[in-house]
Amino acid sequence: MDAELAEVRALQAEIAALRRACEEPPAPWEEKSRVQKSFQAIHQFNLEGWKSSKDLKNQLGHLESELSFLSTLTGINIRNHSKQTEDLTSTEMTEKSIRKVLQRHRLSGNCHMVTFQLEFQILEIQNKERLSSAVTDLNIIMEPTECSELSEFVSRAEERKDLFMFFRSLHFFVEWFEYRKSTFKHLKEKYPDAVYLSEGPSSCSMGIRSASQPGFELVIVWRIQIDEDGKVFPKLDLLTKVPQRALELDKNRAIETAPLSFRTLVGLLGIEAALESLIKSLCAEENN
Amino acid sequence: MDNGSSVLAHLERLETQVSRSHKQSEELQSVQAQEGALGTKIHKLRRLRDELRAAVRHRRASVKACIANVEPNQTVEINEQEALEEKLENVKAILQAYHFTGLSGKLTSRGVCVCISTAFEGNLLDSYFVDLVIQKPLRIHHHSVPVFIPLEEIAAKYLQTNIQHFLFSLCEYLNAYSGRKYQADRLQSDFAALLTGPLQRNPLCNLLSFTYKLDPGGQSFPFCARLLYKDLTATLPTDVTVTCQGVEVLSTSWEEQRASHETLFCTKPLHQVFASFTRKGEKLDMSLVS
Repeated sequence: MDAELAEVRALQAEIAALRRACEEPPAPWEEKSRVQKSFQAIHQFNLEGWKSSKDLKNQLGHLESELSFLSTLTGINIRNHSKQTEDLTSTEMTEKSIRKVLQRHRLSGNCHMVTFQLEFQILEIQNKERLSSAVTDLNIIMEPTECSELSEFVSRAEERKDLFMFFRSLHFFVEWFEYRKSTFKHLKEKYPDAVYLSEGPSSCSMGIRSASQPGFELVIVWRIQIDEDGKVFPKLDLLTKVPQRALELDKNRAIETAPLSFRTLVGLLGIEAALESLIKSLCAEENN
Repeated sequence: MDNGSSVLAHLERLETQVSRSHKQSEELQSVQAQEGALGTKIHKLRRLRDELRAAVRHRRASVKACIANVEPNQTVEINEQEALEEKLENVKAILQAYHFTGLSGKLTSRGVCVCISTAFEGNLLDSYFVDLVIQKPLRIHHHSVPVFIPLEEIAAKYLQTNIQHFLFSLCEYLNAYSGRKYQADRLQSDFAALLTGPLQRNPLCNLLSFTYKLDPGGQSFPFCARLLYKDLTATLPTDVTVTCQGVEVLSTSWEEQRASHETLFCTKPLHQVFASFTRKGEKLDMSLVS
């Protein structure tokens, strides 16, 4: 009976303690329990997490400025790049210490108003002497597709699997394209009545008319060509439209030789000055 | 906490019941009844204690859950970290992609180290670097450009006024050199059988001289070719001379061949011209058989 009484007293004491535990609000930082430990763990993570997050932010900031520099330098803005690697080494090759790896790349971005999407494969063969890498497949999608001057160049780059030439020439092409556009725009603004751009400033031709000389028209065709080596250069031509009577009066054959003379003029004055001098010469009376 | 108080109420009721039965057992005043009551009491106390223990555990669990409610911030931060890591990986991938434009680089404490990659017809070749110090004036700290490339000339023209132009121009020269070198190397390694003498070349690989036969081992006279690449930014020669060794006057067919070879060397890469020779040679053999 004593034992049982003792047990009753013990039970009652425990119940009283448990009751107290139920009533008090818990203080996690005072209780030495799992609750406190987990809270400490969270706090620790906070510190470390914040540290590594800061490291990450720093690293990201540094790399992003590198990226922005490269984008400015090359004129090419790459927005996405993904890569898959496939090991094509066969057991025979491993015996001869040859390793063959195929990389599949997908790249997209833009160069000013031209957007591109590239898919290409690079095959890497490593043998005892050296590592050789070659582009084995190249697919290029470019927008806008109306740039006919570009489509020929794109097929050539695809055929030759020449990635570098593609980017280099694209950079220079776009530079010339923007320069042509701004030149046409500038001249149109300066001589709004004389200059007309039937297809807008992005087209390759600019017309010059004079109100006082109806029937006369000069058309400058400015093409941007990309040669076999990927070199980009402008090619300017002058087309003339004159009334029959004027042709008959033209004893010095000035009109006939105009296209050639124009080329010389461009060579001497540069493109912009040459174009401007043409405008001025046709519209001389208006300026006076 | 409501759960806790209802459990508490429930427990209180239980406890009241226990204390009631305790009183009842005392009123009976029989040892046996006492003993029996004691046993029941113990039993009930034990039950009460177990339920209180459960209640405390439950309460502690809900406190933890409360703290866990604080964790959403942690999960937000974990998500933020993951997002940062993903962005970092993305940026690294894009930086790697710049190598494929031919021009890449890393920022340094002094300025920038630009890496120029070269390739010829899809074959990725050597890379060169130029370490630039961003100062006024801009200068080249060091570089791996071969000495026969006119680096100083190009730098004098463009470096101070237009870094972009400087680098692209250098790119052109280096790519062209790499391409010429590649062609000469391929000729030496793949078509040695057709060469009747060693390939003579200068370090810049813009002057090549060699003798070759279309039918090695045959009786025909060898051709002697001299290729000059005046344009250092080109991979095709500007001047080609093909002569026939030891023969003063060529027959018409040989003259035609000689002239066609000259044209070929001007328009197609060196090793491809020789590849076409070997294909033609195979065709010739077939015609001999029939």
